[in-house]
Amino acid sequence: MKVRVKNWSAVAVWRWKVDDDTCGICRMAFDGCCTDCRLPGDECPLVWGQCKHCFHMHCILKWVHSPNANQLCPMCRQEWKF
Amino acid sequence: MFRRKQAPTSAAVSSSSSSGGVNHPAQAIARVKKEYVECQSDEGMKSCNIKLSLVEDSFVKLRGEIPGPLGTPFEGGVFQLLIDIPQNYPFNPPIVKFETKVWHPNVSSQTGVICLDILKDQWAAAMTLRTVMLSIQALMSTPEPDDPQDAVVANQYRSNREEYNRTAKYWTDVYARPGVSEDDVKIKQLMDMGFDEAKCKTALAKAKGNVEQAIEHLFA
Repeated sequence: MKVRVKNWSAVAVWRWKVDDDTCGICRMAFDGCCTDCRLPGDECPLVWGQCKHCFHMHCILKWVHSPNANQLCPMCRQEWKF
Repeated sequence: MFRRKQAPTSAAVSSSSSSGGVNHPAQAIARVKKEYVECQSDEGMKSCNIKLSLVEDSFVKLRGEIPGPLGTPFEGGVFQLLIDIPQNYPFNPPIVKFETKVWHPNVSSQTGVICLDILKDQWAAAMTLRTVMLSIQALMSTPEPDDPQDAVVANQYRSNREEYNRTAKYWTDVYARPGVSEDDVKIKQLMDMGFDEAKCKTALAKAKGNVEQAIEHLFA
């Protein structure tokens, strides 16, 4: 028996490779996006600090630039470095 | 006499929150909603009897309830807290103060304003209303007289611990007893004059809560 493939569609799923489920700042899922964005993915990326804590990039930038932050990670209070 | 470190911020927020949270961005509201839902099912909060409820369904004003920690002069009391969510929450800390009067070195006996580092410069965006409530309960167990909000209470705490314990316990009994409303106190007052409970309640209702008028009704 011979099978001829006439057409095919590829389906892929993706996830961020991260230990936690939610961002500690906005409390939204890492596989979703921060509260300011509408679509997850490259437009709303995750970033890791040298302390290994992970946040939505938009969230941690807002925190680091807020006067309360003192350049510290909101989780462990070590100095925040990208 | 009282150090008012928080006065400017709390004044700013109370004026903005009167507009009903219209100015709060979606991010702040979304996070408070999630925290509120989490708190309702959190076993740790349930086991400590700490409660969080909404004021006016707006998610910008909440009310907390903390039972006085065992082994402290606050034992047996239930303390109400008012929580104001700032517009840029969680980048700024929530503004929390005691609604129930409390005699504690780090709480203003006049205004209920709390001196606690995580509500000021030690706040971090990863902290939550849950951690704030647990920290306040811990502060009730362990006063920090060297960083006082109320200098009179702090001095008493340092120089005459016995009297401090007595005063704090008295304030707990008078202001923080659970389930005793202002009306209950008034009805007790009227019943002490020898009237039965039903009559006192009717008279107080007629007098719209005014004890003296209620007495006139009772003697009429």
